[in-house]
Amino acid sequence: MRFLPHTDSDRDTMLEAIGMDVMSDLFADIPSEFHLEQDSLDLPDALSEAGIVRKFTQASEQNRHAGNTRCFLGGGTYHHFVPAVVDYVISRGEFLTAYTPYQPEISQGTLQTLFEFQTMIARLTGMDVSNASMYEAATATAEAALMARRITRKSKVVMAGSVNPRYRSVTQNYLSRLDGEYVEVATHDFSTDVDAIIASIDEDTACVIVQYPDFYGSVYDLAELRLACDAAKCLMVIAFSDASAFALIQSPGECGADIAVGSGQSLGIPMGFGGPHLGLLTCKQKYVRQMPGRVCGMTTDADGKRGFVLTLSTREQHIRREKATSNICSNQGLMCTAAATYMTLMGDEGLKTVATRSAAALHHLLSNLPKHVTAAQGARYNETVLSFVSEEKRSAFLVEARKRDMFAGIPLEQLDTKMASNHLLVSTTEMIEEADIQDYLVALEVAA
Amino acid sequence: MSTAHTSNTYSAVGGIQHEEALLFEHAHEASEAISLPGVQGDISAELSAFSRQEPANIPGLSEPETVRHFVRMSQWNHGIETGFYPLGSCTMKYNPRVNEQVVRLSGLANIHPDQPMDSVQGVLALLYELQEWLCEIAGFSDVTLQPAAGAHGELTGLMMIRACLDARGQQHRKKVLVPDSAHGTNPASAALCGMYCVELKSGADGRIDLDELKKHLDDDVAALMMTNPNTVGAFESDVKEICQLVHDAGGLVYGDGANLNALVGMARPGDMGIDCLHINVHKTFSTPHGGGGPGAGPVVVNDTLAPYLPVPRIVKEGETYRIETQDEKSCGTVLGSIGQVGVLLRAHAYIAAFGKNHLHKIAQDAVLNANYVLHRLQDAYHVPFKGLCKHECLLTDEFQNKHGIKTLDVAKQLIDLGFHPMTIYFPLIVHGAMLIEPTETESKATLDSFCDAMLEIAEQCEAGDTQVLHDAPMKPIRRRLDETQAARKPVLVWSD
Ligand SMILES: Cc1ncc(COP(=O)(O)O)c(C=O)c1O
Repeated sequence: MRFLPHTDSDRDTMLEAIGMDVMSDLFADIPSEFHLEQDSLDLPDALSEAGIVRKFTQASEQNRHAGNTRCFLGGGTYHHFVPAVVDYVISRGEFLTAYTPYQPEISQGTLQTLFEFQTMIARLTGMDVSNASMYEAATATAEAALMARRITRKSKVVMAGSVNPRYRSVTQNYLSRLDGEYVEVATHDFSTDVDAIIASIDEDTACVIVQYPDFYGSVYDLAELRLACDAAKCLMVIAFSDASAFALIQSPGECGADIAVGSGQSLGIPMGFGGPHLGLLTCKQKYVRQMPGRVCGMTTDADGKRGFVLTLSTREQHIRREKATSNICSNQGLMCTAAATYMTLMGDEGLKTVATRSAAALHHLLSNLPKHVTAAQGARYNETVLSFVSEEKRSAFLVEARKRDMFAGIPLEQLDTKMASNHLLVSTTEMIEEADIQDYLVALEVAA
Repeated sequence: MSTAHTSNTYSAVGGIQHEEALLFEHAHEASEAISLPGVQGDISAELSAFSRQEPANIPGLSEPETVRHFVRMSQWNHGIETGFYPLGSCTMKYNPRVNEQVVRLSGLANIHPDQPMDSVQGVLALLYELQEWLCEIAGFSDVTLQPAAGAHGELTGLMMIRACLDARGQQHRKKVLVPDSAHGTNPASAALCGMYCVELKSGADGRIDLDELKKHLDDDVAALMMTNPNTVGAFESDVKEICQLVHDAGGLVYGDGANLNALVGMARPGDMGIDCLHINVHKTFSTPHGGGGPGAGPVVVNDTLAPYLPVPRIVKEGETYRIETQDEKSCGTVLGSIGQVGVLLRAHAYIAAFGKNHLHKIAQDAVLNANYVLHRLQDAYHVPFKGLCKHECLLTDEFQNKHGIKTLDVAKQLIDLGFHPMTIYFPLIVHGAMLIEPTETESKATLDSFCDAMLEIAEQCEAGDTQVLHDAPMKPIRRRLDETQAARKPVLVWSD
């Protein structure tokens, strides 16, 4: 077997050294009733390396993908451009095949990169600090709710109905086995009803969770909510799904968030059918000791040189066990390296270009919409809802779009079963060109 | 057998190593921005009203500078491709390069998770086949691929156990029994699931003590979380009786499958009475650990727990696959997607490479290597629990303590000799733990060289030649780092 270095004679030599005759002696402590018979598992025969490549190539060719279509799908996952250098860096064996940096002297590469990642994420989100990743945005949102409960020692969580339904269902699920109330505030017109949210806050409220831009792409003013949170001594948590927005619009920090969580998938990570993506968790400095997950800090070594270590570990499961701030151990380390590389290549200028073009593409599309479809009103970043007169009309359009190799949007009821079936969630990025929008408009006309 | 090597035969000899500033210190006047595609028109007036006020101040380096910066960073790291990495409980085995190649195919890497089902049949087929293989290898009837890592699998498994107990009208059962040798994620996951933990004191052999277990089995017990082989590297030979006792008391058994590498192809946890088990595919099935992640922690379940699996779930109808998102009995949704697909696909490729005829060789060579290392080191280091080990062996620093040397010093000296240290100070049930997991992908020559290094360190202690051990490491780009300083006044971001 090509991944196993031993020859049979190595095995014999080693067995002899430890005083054993045959391999099965090594498993004598397992009761014999559990020993599997050789070759008894119902698995296929081994594939050669060429066989694996063939199998995966064939499977991949059965899929349509953003490489051979035009992708107008968002809803938490976005088709942004990923420069070649990003994948090169995360393919380096020293990054790829390292464990969590438990031995800092020989893990300074991972650690300094994490420190740079944390710094850039803090700057992009306008927050004081970032941790070194959560799994993805939905679990990060749940962790933010738990963190707010610890900080405020209150238990009620108010969730805007305009938060991504997946973030809501995971958060609701996480909270459902713990004491405390969980309230979702209904939403209207594919935007966020700030007044209704404020009305749901009471003295037991630990935090309010809003998404910004919200699930429907709406960008709105959070000043009133910030004041209401101050008055009720609860935290304002901002969730987000496309971090690229904050190079263009007010950042969560500028909006006054206490905790901001969301997806960093847009920062150099392919869509990958749902993962691995990158969960981000940022907060104000004063809350760092209640953060979940790993975090990297600066220090000095025995010679006084600057270096980096994982720190504040007394919050974590390996020390605090059932009293830890979270159970998370393995996180999304390599995706932090990807995002750090991406942001370094982009800089402020590149990030702003990505965001501006993502928003400009949507604006261009919406400015030319035919009359039989309506778009949600108000400021939108790169995502909005198009409504058709009927499900049939929507279907006819989706068929026309597929003929033109376009994934034209996500049927809203697919993500949120309470929704009527005549809406499409549509998203644009800098990967959408003007010609793609022309084709989109043609498909709309043809299917009118 | 060679034992008298001198240190200059080890691989760490220094070399071309560069200091490298933080990228913020490199920053200069922004170079021309990267060239990007897209629509160059205006944004809407409504959106303009929400413009960011202060620039983010992200430096932006040219492409050559970016590459050099991160390549230099990479050179400050030890990875499994660089050298031996015997971290106990972490299964740092070689990560096949072909797996990296195939998951990057555009038809796998660039799929949006909400594409129509007819456009994703290829990837669903690969994932579905993986589901079947995981069930077969571990001996269970169904599986969820959703959990993002082992700890997340623990939480998911406990959620299913909760749902099952609730369905039985046993809402009051909230006690989770966790051996004192268990990984910290076990109790942390139980707490997150609204349960409370009672720690089981391990027996004198490092295994679960049946009397201790019986003492805590009552009408409040929801589950026992057991790791088998456990974290001292020993197989829980009483597993069948343990599961029976817990079941008789009305509880369920959660299996922490972090150590499945010891069993693959040789024996199946599902046959032993365990109700569900998470599999760390970033350990057993060789997906790269990435300096912290991503991993994936699929949970396999038996018939008792299958009705409570989370949604979404991949189902097959005739020859087509689809994703089921609704199920009343389900314990709910635990992740915003179907799973860490790229990681799961690597695991698929890995299992495919072994197939039915070779899979057991993973466990065989892994266990052989651990016992070989144990055999070579057992006189020089204290072995707290005697006898056969499985995929990892546990030593302590008891002998070295007499000379003022601790596990930490041994670990740091190993660095100077060119090895990544073993897991240290875990499990918590012995003083000064050194948990060594060589894995099956290391050659005899590497194991011998590592053992030689360990023996040399033990000899240095005996000879009273200990200053070098206190000073170690001397060779890497940084020496021992001040963790107290880092925690006391945390500096988590750079300020210009
Ligand atoms: C025994 C054991 N259980 C659970 C875990 C947690 O797994 P993960 O890091 O994938 O969350 C680990 C990982 O270190 C482990 O060794």
